[in-house]
Order: sequence, then C-alpha cells, then structure tokens
Amino acid sequence: MAEVQVLNVAVLDNPSPFGNPFQFEVTFECMEDLPEDLEWKIIYVGSAESEEYDQTLDSVLVGPIPAGRHMFVFQADAPNTGLIPESDAVGVTVVLITCTYRGQEFIRIGYYVNNEYTDTELRENPPLKPDYGQLQRNILASNPRVTRFHINWEGCAEKMEDSENVDPAPNAMLSPSCTPGKAPPLGLVPDNSMNCL
Amino acid sequence: MKLLKPSWVNHNGKPIFSVDIHPDGTKFATGGQGEDSGKVVIWNMAPVLREEDERNENIPKLLCQMDNHLACVNCVRWSNNGLYLASGGDDKLVMVWKRAAFIGPSTVFGSSSKLANVEQWRCVMILRNHTGDVMDVAWSPHDVWLASCSVDNTIVIWNARKFPEIVMTLKGHTGLVKGLTWDPVGKYIASQADDRSLKVWRTMDWQLETNITKPFSECGGTTHVLRLSWSPDGQYLVSAHAMNNSGPTAQIIERDGWKTNMDFVGHRKAVTVVKFNPKIFKKKQKNGSTPKPSCPYCCCAVGSKDRSLSVWLTSLKRPLVVIHDLFDKSIMDITWTLNGLGLLVCSMDGTVAFLDFSQDELGDPLNEEEKNAIHQNIYGKSLAITMESQLSSTIIENPEMLKYQQERQGNQNPNEAQGIGPENQTPKLTNVLNGESLEDIRKNLLKKQVETRTADGRRRITPLCIAQLDTADFLPALFNSVPILPGSSASTQLTPQISSDSSTANSLGLRPSHDPTTTSPNKTAEDNKDSGTAAVNSIGMKSNLLLTSASKIEPMKALDSRFTERSKAMPGVTSVPLTIGITPLDRVKDSSSVKEPKGKDETSSDSEDKIMVKSIAKRKGEMEGAEVVEKRKKGRPRKDAKTMPFPQTPVEPSRLTTPIAVLKLPTPSIQKSFSTQVSTDGVTYLEVENEVSVVSGSRLSQLKWSREGREWDVLLPSRIIIAAGSSNVVAVACEDRTLSVFTACGRRLIPSIILPVPMSALHCSGHFVMALTASAMLSVWDVQKQTALVKNESLNPILSGTDATVSQSFLTQQGVAVVSLSNGKTYCFNSSLETWNLIADKQDSLVQCTDFRNCVSAQDALGSMGPLALTQGRNLSAGRLASRLSSTPHHLQQGMTLAFLEKQLSSALILLSASEYRHWLLIYARFLVNEGEMSKLFLFNRSEWGLELLTSKNNEKSTIKVVCMIPGYTFHIF
Repeated sequence: MAEVQVLNVAVLDNPSPFGNPFQFEVTFECMEDLPEDLEWKIIYVGSAESEEYDQTLDSVLVGPIPAGRHMFVFQADAPNTGLIPESDAVGVTVVLITCTYRGQEFIRIGYYVNNEYTDTELRENPPLKPDYGQLQRNILASNPRVTRFHINWEGCAEKMEDSENVDPAPNAMLSPSCTPGKAPPLGLVPDNSMNCL
Repeated sequence: MKLLKPSWVNHNGKPIFSVDIHPDGTKFATGGQGEDSGKVVIWNMAPVLREEDERNENIPKLLCQMDNHLACVNCVRWSNNGLYLASGGDDKLVMVWKRAAFIGPSTVFGSSSKLANVEQWRCVMILRNHTGDVMDVAWSPHDVWLASCSVDNTIVIWNARKFPEIVMTLKGHTGLVKGLTWDPVGKYIASQADDRSLKVWRTMDWQLETNITKPFSECGGTTHVLRLSWSPDGQYLVSAHAMNNSGPTAQIIERDGWKTNMDFVGHRKAVTVVKFNPKIFKKKQKNGSTPKPSCPYCCCAVGSKDRSLSVWLTSLKRPLVVIHDLFDKSIMDITWTLNGLGLLVCSMDGTVAFLDFSQDELGDPLNEEEKNAIHQNIYGKSLAITMESQLSSTIIENPEMLKYQQERQGNQNPNEAQGIGPENQTPKLTNVLNGESLEDIRKNLLKKQVETRTADGRRRITPLCIAQLDTADFLPALFNSVPILPGSSASTQLTPQISSDSSTANSLGLRPSHDPTTTSPNKTAEDNKDSGTAAVNSIGMKSNLLLTSASKIEPMKALDSRFTERSKAMPGVTSVPLTIGITPLDRVKDSSSVKEPKGKDETSSDSEDKIMVKSIAKRKGEMEGAEVVEKRKKGRPRKDAKTMPFPQTPVEPSRLTTPIAVLKLPTPSIQKSFSTQVSTDGVTYLEVENEVSVVSGSRLSQLKWSREGREWDVLLPSRIIIAAGSSNVVAVACEDRTLSVFTACGRRLIPSIILPVPMSALHCSGHFVMALTASAMLSVWDVQKQTALVKNESLNPILSGTDATVSQSFLTQQGVAVVSLSNGKTYCFNSSLETWNLIADKQDSLVQCTDFRNCVSAQDALGSMGPLALTQGRNLSAGRLASRLSSTPHHLQQGMTLAFLEKQLSSALILLSASEYRHWLLIYARFLVNEGEMSKLFLFNRSEWGLELLTSKNNEKSTIKVVCMIPGYTFHIF
C-alpha cells in the first residue's frame, strides 16, 4: 500500500501569461518517516502528436519527510518555446506532475492546459508564428487526472527484467529525448509497474 | 421481522466478501473487490436502521473507503473494543486500521466521485507473513490476539498488543484454511479448512486439542469461505460446510468431548457461513403472567451457497425463519448487531441485506451480567469482571462491559440528535501551526519553504509539516496498551483517546456525554469512572441472585429439543417456503407449556443434582422419541448418534460437587467406541471399540493404535473405559478394574494391574503412567524401570475442607502428577518430599498485582510453555495487565512481584520443568536488575539440568560486585 498519499494539488497563479512559471501547491500525507526523498517532476507536453516534444520543466527533491501531512509549492519555469512545434503552441495540451520514490513512479497527475490569446483580434486571426507574449495559459485545475501505481516502498527498484510487464502507456508519455541529463531516473521508469505484487 | 436491502451499500457491483458491524453499532465495514484493488468500505449504520435517516441527505451513508489492499479483501473484522479494524485479502496481507480523529473530511484527490471520506481510517499496521491469500481474520476475546488464516494452510496468531509480533503459527491443516472462530471463553480457537477437517487448538500451548474429520469426509472443497462460529455460551461450535448422508449441513460440535451428534439440516447447497447471535436469549415474559425461570437459548444464522439464509433458535425445533432467493449468488458473511436483534448479510452478488427482528420473535436478550453469570457457572470464571470484590485488584478488561455502559448511557439519553454532519465532525486542521491559519501559511508557502541545493546541484525542498501524525497513532504503542477502560483509574494515557472518541460519538448520538459542556478530558474520564463503578455495583448486588437462577440452566436442553427435530428439519425448511416475517408465537407458546412442569421442579429448591437427574431422565425420554422418528426417516442421522451414549452428568467433573466426606471422583461412562489423540504430535491416535466381537458368549474389546499409516491393535476381554498414551507407552483401564500397559509398538509391558476401585483419570507421559481412581487415590508408575513413583496417595489433603472437585489432571514429561481443582488451585505431588504442593492458584492476589512485564522479551514466549504455564497460563497475562492499572504503591507491588516470581521459580523447580525454570529465572533476574534490588543477589552455576539459584543475603551494597551471566542475557551489577 502507498506510504504517501497525495491529498490535494492546488494550481496557483492560474490563469497566467504563458511565460509565467508554473506553481503547484502539493499537499500530501506520509504514513511513516521516509528514509529517502521524493522526487517530483513537472513535464510539459509540447505536442499531443508525439512525446518527442515533452519537456521536463524541472525536477525537485522533497525531503526529509517525517510521518505526517506536508505541503510545498513546486515552482518551475515556463516551457522553452523553442522546443514547442509552432502549430501546437495555441490550443489544448497537457502538463504532468509525477512523483517517484526510489526511482519508482507512484503517482502521475495530469492537467489539461488551454493556451489562447486574450486579445479577441489575435484569437480570431492568430499569427502564423505564435506570439508567446500575448498567450495566456489556463490550467483546468478542477479536473486533474490521477493515475496511481503500486510500488515497492520497502526496497529499491527491482531489476530490469520486469520491464516487459509494464503498461506501455506511462512510458509513452515520457520520452528520453526531451530530458537531457535526466537519463538515470528515466532508465528506471519500467519499475513503475506494480512490482510489489 | 423486517427485511431491507439497502441498495446504496455496494462496491459498484463487485462482490462483497465480508461484512462486520462495529461494536458500538454506529457503523459497519464491508470488504471485497474494488476497481483494480481490494476495497474496504465503512458505512454509516443509521441510514440502514431508520428510513428517515436514509432519506436525510445530511446524514452520510459512506464514511470511509480504503483501497490500500492490492487485491480482493476476503474478511473485515472489528476488534472487540471497536478501536481497530482488521482486514485480510488476496494480497496475502492483513491490515489493521485505526481511526484518525484529528483530520477532517477529505476527498480522495482526483477521484471522479466527489464523495468525501467523512471519517479517516488509516492503516496503522501491515502484517506480512502469509504466503497465500488471507481468508479469514478473528480477534480473540479481549483483543489479546488477532488470528488470520490463509490458503497457505496455516493460521497465524498475532500479538495484538505488540504488532507485528507473531505468537505462533498453527500448522497442521493440509488444505486451504477458510474460517476461524475463537472460543468466547478464550480457551480455544477453531479453524475449518478444505482438507475436510475442523481443528480446535488450545490457546494455552497452541497445540491441537482435537481434529474433527468425520462430518466433513464427504465434503468437496467448493466453497469460497468456511466461516464457522462458536456459541456465546461457549458450549457449541458450529461448522460451515459439513455433510450428513450426502446432504449439506452445519455440524454442531459440543465442547464437552467434541461430540458431533447434531447438525442444522435443510440447506440445499454447502453452508458457507454460520454466525451465532452475540446474545443469549430467554423467553419473552408476557405481561401479567407470573415470571418463571425459563431455559436460556442461543440464536444462530446460517448462510449457504444455495443463496438462502436460515435463522435458528436452539429452543425451537425448526428454523425460526428461512429466506430463499435473498441474493443472486452465494452468501459470504453474516454479522449481528450487538443487541442481537439485527443481522447484516452480504453476498458474492455485491449486495447486502439487513434483517430486523423484534424481541417477540427472538426473545428477551440476557443482559451482560446474566450472560456472565452463565459463564461463571459453566466455567468457574466470568468473561467480564462483575464481582465487586474483584474490582480492587482486577481491571475491567472486557469490552462487553464498556459496551454495556455505553448502552446504558445511550438509554439514559435516547433522544439525543442522531444526525451526523460533516460540519460537526472532527477538529479542523487550522490550529496546527502556532495559531497561524492554514490560509496564512498557504499565502506565504513559496517564500517560507526551505529550498536548498544538493551536492549534485539539484533543487531540494523541505516540505512544511502542517499536521504531525501523533505517534501513538502510528507506532504500535497503542496496541500495547489496554483497551479503553472507562472504569479504570489508571487509563490516563488513554484518556484523551476516550474523550475525543466520545466527543465524536456525541455527534453520532449514540454515546451522549453526561455533560455536554465537558471539555476537560479528565472530567470525562471521571464521569466514566463513576458510572462504571455504579454499574458494577449494581451488578455486584444482583449477581448472587443471578447465579442461583443461572445454576438451573441446562445448555444441553436447548439443543436437545432440536435433536428430536433433526429429522423433521428438512421438511421444516421446505414447509416454510419463502416466508418473510413469520411470527413464531404459537411455537413459543407450545414450548413454554411443555417446559412449565419442569420450571416448577426447579423452583422447589431441590438440590442441583437432583434436578439434573430428572432432566436427564427427561432427555432420555426425548432421545428415545427422537430415535423412533429417526428410524422412520430412513436413518438420516449419523450412525454413531444412536450408539453414542448421551452425555451424562459425570462427563465434565468440574460441574459436579463432590461430597466432602466420601471423596469420590467421577468415572467416565462406558462408550461403545471412542478415540483419543496421543501426545501432542497430532498424528498418533488411539481408537477403542468395545464389544467388537463376541466369541462363544464373551465379548471382546479392541484397542487400535495408529500413527501415519502404521497401526496395531490388541484385544481385551473387558470393556475399555479410558485409554491414554504417550510416545512410549499406551495404557488402558477396563471395566473390570484392570489397568493394562503396552509399549508404543503394541507389546504388553506388564500383566494387568488390578485396581481397588474404578479409574477416574488416566494419563501417560514418556515412560510414566498416572492413575487417578474414583476413590481419589493417585498412583504414578515408571513402567520402564518398573517402579512406583507415587503409591496410592490420597487426594484428601487437597480436597478436604473444600467443596471443590478435580477439574483437570495431567502428567508432565518428568513424571510429576498435576491435579487442578475446580476452585482454581493446582497441586502437584512431590514424591521425594511426599507432599502435595500448591503450584498455581487462580485466586492468588499476588498474581493480580505483579508487574514484570518489562522484564519479558518476545523470545521468552517459547520458554514459558510447559506444565506450569498449562495450569496458570492465562491468568498470568491477566495479572500482568491488572498490575499496570493497579494503584498499589510501588514498593508493595515490587514486593508482590518478587514473591510471585520466587513462587514461580519454586513451582517450576518442583515440576522439574527446566525450560520454565529458566524462563522465570530470566525474568526474576531482569526484574532484580531493573528494580535495583540489591538485597537478593544471585549467582548461577550450571547444574545437571540447567541453572541453579543461589541467594545471597548480603545487604551491603558497597561491597557487592557480582557479574551475572545468563545465556542470551548478560548484565552486571556493581
């Protein structure tokens, strides 16, 4: 069973200009003192078409965590506009918050994000090249999609042999190409499966 | 009877495998399959009970749901004190849940249903040991242990005061273990498994007491669960799926000799669950009629794979009610409300049903003191402590008592508002941080939170702790403590718990406080205490009266009458087709008129024995009647039922009063056939068949010995009364007053020993044979050396002057004879001193007041098993508990503990029980060290069988320098 339960995520500074940093206020509860830190990540899905355009906005360690209820604000810079396909800049996309413990992802929270121009003129006749300065980001805070995974809280991630048991979906959403310098944790993604069974 | 199917109690159509009503009656738990996990749900009881509450949207129906189990939940059970919920599932885990009162309602983040969890229940302990699905869990009386059984064929006994410590793993079943039930007296636990056996285990030494296979030999392993149940008076154990003449039954097993003569017949498919009503009932007194003593009886619900439910009163010949087609699939679990009038049933089809009976239908439930009087009468001890005199030295560790008080309080103020609203729930979180509101914190959280960089340059945020989970809630500490005892003075550590509980309960309206403005926890505790004492006082006054009336209770009677009905049961069930809401008034009338003359007998202040004789005569009459009926019914009853002599008075000697002058011990009656288990290995059996063959006018009896396929038999010229065996010898006593001794291979060791009088009890252990004759003379022989250890020693010294009788006797491995009396005293005979020595006394006040708990470590548990523990075992733990709450001055308690420990040491020594001597010596040593007791120092020398104690009388601390070493425990005293 999960040692850490996410009780709530509040989306702060929303809606906001596209260039503002993301702010999520996370409340979670922990059953016992956790010997290791939790790792939280914010992943911005640049294009619905391909995970190639996913970018990890930031990853942060959270700890130490004694038993109890805790909260923190996870702030991460806005996505690098250069990595977003121009055709996908405006419209609906997704931002993901994931949390891993000992390299195993146990929760994934997804929000729909609507990027649109505030100016009616621009909205009706959007420029070919997106004007990020005029874009407003609106996160559908009321409707998070939460996926929980059973992980092994006691020990470390299990061996890589388990990878074939993995639901491909979580992997599909995380592409190695968009996460420079974050290779090791991603290599362990397969262990997010329900390996405690 | 009213029947209700609350459709809102469901697991979204998924199967519900288990249901259990909370002891306070305000909520119930269900367990079963969730979406992709196991699911435990806690529901509010009020909407089930009252229609207006069901319609009131402000009253929540669902209180909490937990999807922490990784796979289907097979069983949910509340602890007797109501503080914990245990759940077991296919994920091989047992989880123990506790309510967290400090956190308000919350939703499950991201869940599509916006239903809030009104109560917060969190898993405080995960018990991992089973290697297969956990099928059933059960809390022992007083919540001392939690038992779980699994498809890994084992039963694990967990120490509920010290989770996750395992007390014992019971191995012996060779199939999936699917049901558990504790003896309400706490002496046994019974399990039923797919291996076509029902096993009863002793809690004293966790060894097998009996293995019952006969009624199950025809059974196929086709049921999901086999939930058996023990009657509240402890006299009967009723199994799930059994077969009788290829018809499915629920087998009734008598505590007395584990006889299997009766069963509940009528279901068309296997019985999955049996549940006794927690109450004992007596006939409803009609207004105007003169109150007359009537036979108390029990009530039992039986659920089956045939989707029907039957409810039986042991005073009635037919089921009280049979409900067919209640569900679409098999019934999985049954639970009664504490008042005994309501019943929740759940089914594999994912629905539950609630049955509501009236007192007219079931009868008047006995109150707790009457029930305890019955226990007191049958077992010589009550489950609750109700005697005023006991109060000073004993704690009320019985949750029944607590419930009783709650009920009382509830009755005093029944009009209290019933509504639960989220608004008047549990404290808010805002007061957690130095008076700063959560809103303030949130505003500045980003600025306030500490962010650092790790060595490799990564961001690290220290989260702000907004609610510290109080450690008591999370560590097993609370498990170590005693259940809530409002009447006890020293429950201060638990007081906040009680007050917070009662404050939340206030809003539930079921436990209204005495003073609504009470805010101080102490005051609440005091109030509780007062009412507790008051309640107990009144009990104390009544108890005498109750005892006399209870003494006339014949638990047999109730089932007897049903014995006649056995053959009729089948038509009975079918002739009550699809009836919902039958009123058995006529039948009640019938039985009352039948019992009337007997009632007069009883009131005529006859001696108890006389009454019993009369009633036996009556029984016999009934028996014969029964047989006639049975014969007509094509021999439906089991073969041996007819030949088995009906239990006669002397079977359980403890219930008999022995005349002081004559000193006559009861002798067992002669049975056509019987079998006993030899020693504790669980595989060796002795079977006796009397009058097996007739050779030219003389009748021979056969003794058969078997161990795992190997067997031998011998023929004896006279009928065998008692047989006993050890791993080395087998002894049998015959009707012609001879005693024959054989080796374990079946060779006769000595020619028949002629006894002056018939045998009362016979025991073998190692090469020793112990004989207790009807004239209360004891002999012990060493048949290998062919010497007498004890020669015709009279029990006169221990029996004279008391009206007690022998309740138990046994022989230790070392050949020491031990005799327990019904007054709670246990003696052994020391052959070198030629004296009777008192080794255990249940009334010993020293036992009640000792406190050496902190000197006992987990690994000591093994060493504490042996003959001494066998005679006093449970009492000790009770004493340990009591001591923690006693208000005795420390030095006095210390002295009592020392005296007690020394007594234990000498008792273990005289019993020649090396492991126990070692055990107590360790505790004694630790106690001396802990208490800094310098006046008694000791040194250890290895002697021939362990350790020898030397006591130094040196009192001068400064000159003492001793180093004591015990294997596994080293300490120094300077």
